Amino acid sequence: MRETRHAFHDELDSIELEVLAEGELAERAIGRSVAALVTRDADLAREVIAEDDAVDERYLSVERRILEVLALQTPVAGDLRRLSAILHINLHLERIGDQAVNVAKIFLSVQDLPPGGTILSHLNEMGDVVRAMIRTALASLRDRDLELALSLPAMDDPVDRLNLGMYREVAKLAADPEMLDWGLRMNVLARQLERVGDNAVDIGEQVAFLLTGEFREFTDASHPELG
Amino acid sequence: MTSLEVKKLDAWFGKTQVLKSISVAAETRSVTAIIGPSGCGKSTLLRCMNRMHEEVRGARAEGEVLFGDRDIYAPGADPVVVRRQIGMVFQRPNPFPTMSVIDNAVAGLRLTGRIPKAELHQRAETALRAAGLWDEVKDRLQEPGGRLSGGQQQRLCIARALAVEPEILLMDEPASALDPVSTLRIEELIAELKGNYTVIIVTHNMQQAARVSDSTLFMLYGEVVEFATTQKVFTNPEDRRTEDYVTGRFG
Repeated sequence: MRETRHAFHDELDSIELEVLAEGELAERAIGRSVAALVTRDADLAREVIAEDDAVDERYLSVERRILEVLALQTPVAGDLRRLSAILHINLHLERIGDQAVNVAKIFLSVQDLPPGGTILSHLNEMGDVVRAMIRTALASLRDRDLELALSLPAMDDPVDRLNLGMYREVAKLAADPEMLDWGLRMNVLARQLERVGDNAVDIGEQVAFLLTGEFREFTDASHPELG
Repeated sequence: MTSLEVKKLDAWFGKTQVLKSISVAAETRSVTAIIGPSGCGKSTLLRCMNRMHEEVRGARAEGEVLFGDRDIYAPGADPVVVRRQIGMVFQRPNPFPTMSVIDNAVAGLRLTGRIPKAELHQRAETALRAAGLWDEVKDRLQEPGGRLSGGQQQRLCIARALAVEPEILLMDEPASALDPVSTLRIEELIAELKGNYTVIIVTHNMQQAARVSDSTLFMLYGEVVEFATTQKVFTNPEDRRTEDYVTGRFG
């Protein structure tokens, strides 16, 4: 037997490499945005905002290439699942890039306000975990590793917990109007990182679909008892 | 409900075995597609389904092909009767070129006995309507069949097969000699025929199998590799060889 659609399958491989590269950029952007916040580095925050163009460029390129392959090559079976999964993953990664920009912008909007140590350390921890989640999600795609993909919901638990606890931490700042103002923005910022965790879990769901042919949500917010 | 069930069917051309223990069942009023590379035995399987295979010198088949509760290979089964109930449409449109359109439509029916002229006309109209051809030829019924376009000629052959009121229609690459528009017209017709007939189609065109069929049988080297819903075969096939074939990883 001989390979009959060599160029087509090379193109699929190349599209996947591009989305993985996009994922590395998005993961780096999240790391740098949280670092800018924690080290109060406004220049770094502005760099994160400027560098999002590189994520967007890859996002658009992957989208265009997938549409072209769908139109011209009528992929089926594993090829079709691969393209469908990458199409969704591409969107999640672009969103992660946008969340990094949001983190940077929120920091820049409050850089003159006094920060609170506990909240910053919680946000730093959330940043570390969601970065690890993005790396895990990308590795599960690259290595076709179902177990890695399935490990993502458990990784997301501390992120959700820290995000929910943020409200209480902010309430502790109520006595000082300036601190409270900063804290309320940090509550919004925590929400951005929490979304990144969700995006990583969603990428894991797409990888599981690619590998098993069955799509199911790892967690269902409207039916938590099934999770 | 099952219309046609093949059970452990073997077939040979001379000493060469071309089908090996094939088992497959076609649901009533559904479309089953048979796909596979050239020489895999798909046309032979189709031709075993109405006893056309044995028309080739040295060709024979062993096993069961159940039509309802009758084995069409049982001793005493009449191949002519079998072929009336299980019709066949071939790759190249083969109307009688000088015979009129209307006579072509009922050419098979005429062989079944004497039928009054008025009834013949009515049966021709019914068959031509079922084949989606009536509106295009109703003012040209006396013209020779050979003057119709390729796509119309193929639908005329489908009408001819339908006129004898079969239960099952076998189609051996019915659109491979047609242009893209005529091909889509035939595919649409297959979807309509499904309302009244069980259709089994052999096609080289995998996308055609995906578009028209409910179930897909993938064959390789005279054997069944996978038989499943078409949706399953084209999104998440069970067998690695099916995956490799439908995604073009070998050919």
